[in-house]
Amino acid sequence: MRAKLAVAAVVLAVLPWLLHDYGLQIAIQALVLAGFAMAFNLLFRNTGLLSFGHAACFGAAGYTTTLLVSKLAWNFAATLPLALVASALVALVIGFFSVRLSKIYFTMLTLAFAQMLWAVSHKWYGFTGGDNGITGVLPPGVLGNPKGLYYASLVSLALVSAIIHMVRRSPAGYTLRAVRDNPARAEAIGISAFEYMVGAFVLSGTLSGLAGFLQVAWQHSAFPDLFYWTTSAEVIIAVILGGSAEFFGPVVGAVVLVVLEAVVRSHTQYWPLALGLVLLAMVLFFPRGVISLFQRQRRAEVPRAAA
Amino acid sequence: MTLPFFFLEFMTGLASAASLFLLAVGLSLIFGALGIVNFAHGSFFVLGAYFLFALTRGDAAGFWHYLLVAVAASVVVGAVVERVFMRRVLNRAEHYQILLTYALLLIIEDVCKICFGADYKSIGMPRGFEMPVFVLGIPFPSYYLGLVGLAAAAALLLWLFLHRTRYGRLVRAVTQDREMLEALGVNVPLLFTVIFAAGIGLAGFGGAVSLPLQSISTGVAVDAVISAFIVVVVGGLGSIWGTLLGAILIGEIQAFGALVLPEFSIAFTYVLMAAVLLFRPWGLLGRPPAVRT
Repeated sequence: MRAKLAVAAVVLAVLPWLLHDYGLQIAIQALVLAGFAMAFNLLFRNTGLLSFGHAACFGAAGYTTTLLVSKLAWNFAATLPLALVASALVALVIGFFSVRLSKIYFTMLTLAFAQMLWAVSHKWYGFTGGDNGITGVLPPGVLGNPKGLYYASLVSLALVSAIIHMVRRSPAGYTLRAVRDNPARAEAIGISAFEYMVGAFVLSGTLSGLAGFLQVAWQHSAFPDLFYWTTSAEVIIAVILGGSAEFFGPVVGAVVLVVLEAVVRSHTQYWPLALGLVLLAMVLFFPRGVISLFQRQRRAEVPRAAA
Repeated sequence: MTLPFFFLEFMTGLASAASLFLLAVGLSLIFGALGIVNFAHGSFFVLGAYFLFALTRGDAAGFWHYLLVAVAASVVVGAVVERVFMRRVLNRAEHYQILLTYALLLIIEDVCKICFGADYKSIGMPRGFEMPVFVLGIPFPSYYLGLVGLAAAAALLLWLFLHRTRYGRLVRAVTQDREMLEALGVNVPLLFTVIFAAGIGLAGFGGAVSLPLQSISTGVAVDAVISAFIVVVVGGLGSIWGTLLGAILIGEIQAFGALVLPEFSIAFTYVLMAAVLLFRPWGLLGRPPAVRT
């Protein structure tokens, strides 16, 4: 594992010098989505909660940054702390209300919260620019340069991965999985399932905010799409396509998704059709994700719904 | 706001409620029985509208008899989709079901684009409803009233089917205890195909009869499915009268909200959805889940 990581690190470090400008843009997108997917999977893998509201945290950071830059003329990079605070607050509110609900109701409530933000940003022309969005927000300095943004995204991904790795191995990580596997028993030994799940939701949402910040640095704009439910769907697709049960599964999924999209779109306009067929094949034939195709066959049960 | 104006706005809200009800009731039925959240439901609504448009070639003259063909085609599509895809994920984790139906959403979107083009399709008022009616001296499209009648008839027929026929009793039973039904010798897989096909048929019917009201394009599906979720969650997953109540509430909120607070009327429907989930997760008219031991 260490040797593989070292090789991957070296490849990723020299990659910008090997790619054309277009390839570099694709690479940045893949890294940003990979960070978002890792953050999402922190919640999904450790708590089993399937959030359809992560677009809220993603977009909250994106809009905080673009609003501060465009309305108050803040320095782009200086908005990062506040952007993360905004994501954390949004995650706290959504998590606080949602984690008590089970399964589909949790998914629906997180969806409702994210759609609320979408509806407001979509219609509030006076403040968010409505569906015209906020455009022309160019980050100066390192973030404005494609290579600089690439390395910033790479460092962010490494940082997010390190944090998630530490959380997983910490007592809190074990507690979270205990709550996931047997909430009643966890409660019986004095664990507050509620507090741990809200904590995981907030951390996951805050790290998603980091991806949201990088996303607007990349696209120089913010649109209501950042909050729309298809953004949440995209990150879920990346995670499950890669393989949610593997640590770097979300990264693999994000890279496959972004690269595949670039390749398909250069040949045909029917990217949704291609993605739909890939997802169908995945669900029916390789449910453990793309990463499982490259592993020696480990016989593991396909996760089943609890009876 | 004068009284006639208020009344017309109410009737407009009711017409969109009729469309929402037909869209959402199948979603509710399918969730209740199969336990699947169908993210492609809005796509089948759009597909029904496209079927009707393709059959009539945009000419309202053949509306009524082609409507039957469009609904039949939707039922067949539903049955095939259930047989080929849905039953493979019935016992799988929730996220596979969501991913599969999302894949169907993407595929249907592009297949429609290939077959019918990406532009908006609409159709004139169908035969019998060409002339407006005058309500308190103001002209009002008579088809809006027709649509409300159709949705009301569909709700009533569905209720009669579920509560007054033997097969309807099986449908209700399978939402309660699938294993017991299988033990009693009922062909549950066939029952699931029938329910799914019926749900998709209702969505297709809803899309087709809504075509004179709202023009349709492939992009409508992603918005439609979320509207259906709001309606079903507010009313109660698996409840027909709940879906009807949810549709009326959302239809009227959108009609009047657009006048009073145009900036926040959509947001308010999501606030309502969240509030219902927080205080009555089983919906306004749904039944709280029985405690299982």
